[in-house]
Amino acid sequence: MGQEASNPVIELRSVTTVSGGFEILRDVSVAFTEGVTTAVLGSAGSGKSALLKTAAGLVVPDSGAVLFRGSSLASFSEDEERYFRSRTSFVFQDAALWANQTIFFNIALPLRIHKPWMGESEVAERVRTTAERLGYVEGLAFRPADLSAGEQKLISIARALVLDPELVFLDEPASGLDEDAKERVQEVLDSLRDAGKSILLVTNDMGWVHRIADRLVIVRDGRLAAAGPYDEVVASEVPETAGLVARLRARGARGMRSRGAEESAGTVVLSDPEPPETGKSAGGAAEGERGT
Amino acid sequence: MIDAIGKAVRTRFDSFLYGLGFFVKVLRETARFFRKSQVGYKVLVMQILFTGFEALRINAVMSLGIGAAIIVIGTSLLPQFGQSQLLYTILIIVITRELGPLLTAFVVIARSGTAIATELGTMVVNHEIEAYLSVGVNPISFLVVPRFLGMVVSLIVLTIYFNIFGLLGSFLVVQVVRPVGFQEYFQNLLTTLTVTDILSGLGKAVVFGTIISLVASFQGFSVNRASTEIPVAGIRAVSQSFMLCILADVVITLMQYA
Repeated sequence: MGQEASNPVIELRSVTTVSGGFEILRDVSVAFTEGVTTAVLGSAGSGKSALLKTAAGLVVPDSGAVLFRGSSLASFSEDEERYFRSRTSFVFQDAALWANQTIFFNIALPLRIHKPWMGESEVAERVRTTAERLGYVEGLAFRPADLSAGEQKLISIARALVLDPELVFLDEPASGLDEDAKERVQEVLDSLRDAGKSILLVTNDMGWVHRIADRLVIVRDGRLAAAGPYDEVVASEVPETAGLVARLRARGARGMRSRGAEESAGTVVLSDPEPPETGKSAGGAAEGERGT
Repeated sequence: MIDAIGKAVRTRFDSFLYGLGFFVKVLRETARFFRKSQVGYKVLVMQILFTGFEALRINAVMSLGIGAAIIVIGTSLLPQFGQSQLLYTILIIVITRELGPLLTAFVVIARSGTAIATELGTMVVNHEIEAYLSVGVNPISFLVVPRFLGMVVSLIVLTIYFNIFGLLGSFLVVQVVRPVGFQEYFQNLLTTLTVTDILSGLGKAVVFGTIISLVASFQGFSVNRASTEIPVAGIRAVSQSFMLCILADVVITLMQYA
């Protein structure tokens, strides 16, 4: 049972990624719809972060292709690569701030790279307002080591948002944040979502998933286990995703997320982690079909 | 066993090709470094400051000592063989052509080679390199090219300093131990010193600077994810830089004298 997203912003086609001799992604085919929030779920070590980094072009797959609006990242020219980076941003699980640079430099660098015409005062103003939007009001001359883990996370999110990207990859954005900071980040994500930005979110925080995800992608042992609109994946009965789905069901019903659901109403891709020998899988993702 | 040997050879060959590709990429980005508005200039200045300026003191002490030792030994031994005039030839060859660039390279390997490898390795482990990629910064252009240029410039400057201290400063040191006539010393020195001697030493400095910066950067980037890999990368950077610099020195010297 395959399905087509009408306008995928990012698409993985039969992607296999090997790291340290292990296949961390195995023949994954999935498309992420433009303008919706997709949560990538799975247990620890299932390949969620690898999937996100591969989709963002930070990890080069050993086989298969990653497409941004239909164009393969592997065949990008330098200008195309620059365009892609100017329209996308990535929040790392462990903040990944540049340790020997100031907070100001950390947030300002994307602007200096992609908007070199901006004057220093304009850059400074944009950096300040972006940091304040996330609730960071401490000095911008500090180094990352002077900040708490939560503050570092906020700065990494500010760095990702300073360019006002069209597609944001977030790897565990809630980790290390206190409740107030989580709330502010949620509000920022809500505003991105309302603005029609595409969000790819890896998280174990089911509250976040329940609140903002339009679509779900569930990964298990490096394989795609399920993908589709939130309500359909949550309503599905597949043993491999039962644990995650049960936790989401426990949070109760919610209104149908129209943007994600309209794209492929009535279709949920479900695949066994280990496809049968016949090569047929329940959902077809193991056969290289796309699913979102 | 044959399978194991075959695998080892293939791994080495792949590694060699990867290193060659890295070298070509650095050269390509270097050619473009000055054409683009670069945020890497600051990195370049800092690299020159750390490698070139901060190593000046130890380099000066070393060259003074070696220059003085050559003069003391030369003025003691050479007259016994009736070859006093060879003192200046030996002094220039040792200082400008051989030990100057080589010992300077050793100092830089010990200080900056390890620093570059461990710094880049730490950045890899902390995902800082991925963060640069994610915002569209080419790590080769932003991190490696400034270090490469800074290292080459620093090696050239340090070698010139080594020559100055080794040839002129050591004269002052020797006055304490065995006074030599000022006019006689400098007249003979300038008569013996040729442009080829200076260019030979500077050429070696360029080659050594290239080797050290590229090997250290390559080893730094070879770290995958564990912090325990960082000191290993540092050790590899030092040992490979030493070996390649000595090898390059031998090859260049053979080309000059063969």
